[in-house]
Amino acid sequence: MNRYFYIDSEGKQKGTFSPEELKSENIKKDTLVWTQGMNEWMRASDVAELDIIFAESTGYYPPQPAAQSAAQPAFSSAQPAGYGAPQQQPMPKSWLIESILATVLPFLLCSSIFSLLGIIGIVHASKVESLYIRGDYAGSLEASSQAGKWTKIAMWIGIAWVVLWIVVVVLIIAFGVSMANIGDILNGSGYEI
Amino acid sequence: MLVAVVFMFYTFDPGDMPLFPKCPFLLVTGYECPGCGSQRAVHDLLHLDLKGAFSQNALILFLIPYILLGIYLGFFNGKHHFPRLEKLFFGKWAAIIVVSGIIIYGVLRNVV
Repeated sequence: MNRYFYIDSEGKQKGTFSPEELKSENIKKDTLVWTQGMNEWMRASDVAELDIIFAESTGYYPPQPAAQSAAQPAFSSAQPAGYGAPQQQPMPKSWLIESILATVLPFLLCSSIFSLLGIIGIVHASKVESLYIRGDYAGSLEASSQAGKWTKIAMWIGIAWVVLWIVVVVLIIAFGVSMANIGDILNGSGYEI
Repeated sequence: MLVAVVFMFYTFDPGDMPLFPKCPFLLVTGYECPGCGSQRAVHDLLHLDLKGAFSQNALILFLIPYILLGIYLGFFNGKHHFPRLEKLFFGKWAAIIVVSGIIIYGVLRNVV
């Protein structure tokens, strides 16, 4: 049996564990794992030997809540100190990278007004981790979904903006309007962009 | 789509062409927003004219590598390989610094 490293929800590498031991870790299907002989980190669900971890949740065996809760206290004492109460659920997606990008990118596309949407996303995204560490999992989850919502709105508006812009350019070229004419039509405040 | 956009930025100078989108902020308020000049800066960058890009929009010179880093970390699994880098550049405080930096730049360029 191989011994595995995995990367937890905070991006820390942990290991090694046997597949049996991994059962009591917070392994999700998309958790990245590695063991000797692998070229790179793989999703846990893609590793045949780790199928046993997910067997229970997919209903191959009847769920055993009693046995599970009995197993957890024993495990929590083995967790590194400084983390307070054992975190049973992984941290919800923080959306921090995505929302920062959604704030910064519009400046490149001259649609800086849309950055406000990204900033709303950042405000929510920055709450995800602190609420999670405080142990407010529900609040953290709520912040995560809000952050995701605003980031996605910003993203779709950004995509629509770029598409609209391309369509306008293509139309102008297709209709063969001369440069001078476009200049007259759009001549607002010089050619500031 | 990306290729088409890059091609357009390379071929046409946004400073001369009315095709490129105007900044709605500038039209409405008359002030340059922190992003103004970014398209001309991208055009200059594609022609490897760092000086020109810097004079058009200095902010963009810093933002472009930052954006590329963010795309790598967020969408190409980079955060699993470099979790520290993610914490440093895309943590809560990084977000606050970036946003306030953009706002300060926006104010300064109109005042100075």
